Amino acid sequence: MEEVESKPVKRRTKDLNLWEKIYIPEIIKGLALTFRNIFRPKFTMEYPEVKFEPPASYRGRPVLVQEESGVERCVACGLCSRVCPALAIEVQAAETELEKERFPEKFEINMIRCIFCGFCEEVCPEEAIVMSKDYELAFFNREDALYGKDKLLVPASELEDRIKFLRQYK
Amino acid sequence: MDQLEKEVQPKILEALLNAKTDYTFDDALENEMVLNMGPQHPATHGVLRLLLRLDGERIVACVPDLGYLHRGYEKMAENMTYYEYIPHTDRLDYISPMANNVAWVLAVEKLAGIEAPKRAQYIRMMIAELARIASHLVAIGSFAMDVGALTIFLWTLREREKILDIWDILCGARFTNSYTRIGGVANDAQPEALEKVKWFVDQFEPNLEECEKLVNKNRIFIERVDGVGAISKEDAISFGFSGPNLRACGVNFDLRRNAPYLCYDEIDFEVPTYSEGDCLARYFLRLDECRESAKIVLQILNKMPQGEVIANQPKKVLPHKDEVYTKMEELIHDFMIVNFGINPPEGEIYHAIEGTKGELGFYLVSKGEGRPWKCKIRSPSFNNLQVLPKLVVGQMISDVVAIIGSIDPIMGEADK
Repeated sequence: MEEVESKPVKRRTKDLNLWEKIYIPEIIKGLALTFRNIFRPKFTMEYPEVKFEPPASYRGRPVLVQEESGVERCVACGLCSRVCPALAIEVQAAETELEKERFPEKFEINMIRCIFCGFCEEVCPEEAIVMSKDYELAFFNREDALYGKDKLLVPASELEDRIKFLRQYK
Repeated sequence: MDQLEKEVQPKILEALLNAKTDYTFDDALENEMVLNMGPQHPATHGVLRLLLRLDGERIVACVPDLGYLHRGYEKMAENMTYYEYIPHTDRLDYISPMANNVAWVLAVEKLAGIEAPKRAQYIRMMIAELARIASHLVAIGSFAMDVGALTIFLWTLREREKILDIWDILCGARFTNSYTRIGGVANDAQPEALEKVKWFVDQFEPNLEECEKLVNKNRIFIERVDGVGAISKEDAISFGFSGPNLRACGVNFDLRRNAPYLCYDEIDFEVPTYSEGDCLARYFLRLDECRESAKIVLQILNKMPQGEVIANQPKKVLPHKDEVYTKMEELIHDFMIVNFGINPPEGEIYHAIEGTKGELGFYLVSKGEGRPWKCKIRSPSFNNLQVLPKLVVGQMISDVVAIIGSIDPIMGEADK
């Protein structure tokens, strides 16, 4: 640690110089700033009318990927449920005749608990759970917030953006 | 309910009516008053409670009461793997989650002996500096708002919004980023994100100047904060001040330069310092640091190397996704790391970075398991608040608001 000189006290001036004391030029300067701001493009977004279009990297509501055959990709390994820091995911596995042998009999995400960290997607070995762009989540009661397979399954064609992003950057 | 109205309420009424309410003093000036400020007070930046003993409007003594936002994050770390704890660090200093992410993974990497690739380190530096700008903008804005200048708050938050937009592209979340990973970062910085960073840094300087012009020569503002809450260099050091607050007292100490981590030794930057140690000095210092951080970000963008963003240590670092899909070995590692953690060797380490509020350190003790045996967070806001009783004594009540604003405590971090 070394000794340092104080910054010039110039920054602490509060007294006005003559030019500023005349006032009129300063008022014109201030008004110019005001009017410049009026004609600036609006920075805010009028949300319900104008919808926010999220980029591919956006972490919205987690969804299960549904193949074209109508079956989910998930093999119910339970890794997402293990890694979830908020303990929001519940998976119950069952056996199936299909090639993948196992499928989730019950797959439930508690959307009140979910913190949208994207860890489930990151550890999934089957690309079965991904984060969608859906961010409008509001419920009238707690039961509605338990998303079962019926609400979670989304066709893979709707999630192309995100899957492409995952393959390229993760 | 009826019973309550019939029986209890008359009793309360009776007790209130019988209570002794007429106090008389021989000398009207001899008594002092104890004032509770907070925890629900708009100017205490969260749930900080102050007990103030007042003589008229002057403060005779002050006792800060912390812990209203205590969530037990240190204890929670003992029950989860190092990887799972990353989203929890977002919620410590919620104004600059990226800096916390960086601090946590650096501590874990030091413990486990992992070194992140160069590009990951540069990305981490970039996000830590942008987080510093965002945090200081909030600090400047809310400090000015506390002392009565409302417009600057809206303008600095507009600038911060642009940084949040960068986070949105970079990692997919605006506020709770969870972007860094043990051994690197979650995903490579996309070209469009870096473009946006470049655009932000280019337009930042004139916009910040516009913001500071509002109050920098404002007589009301300067007289309100000049010389208020001053602290000497020696006191600041012995109280454990750190970060911008310490540098405003004339101590030229910055972990980025005094104990370089990441690649800060390759970057050319200055450490702004003021010597007055009062509210105004802290305000000016934050403005200067914003500019300095913007310069650092620009250098980082020019120097950023290409390459991997995640270390190649299969037993400790999560593999790439396409490798997990196709290769057996990586699949097994994926399961092992998630289920059992990275099992760093036995030992204990402390790693601190120059966080946005000061020295943000994590002390970790490992017993060779997947989760830490003990985690201690050295949060700068907590230490900075210790000095509050000393700063406010002798000042007016309205100065307390200015002093809290200039120290810039974040209660999520102070209470952990």
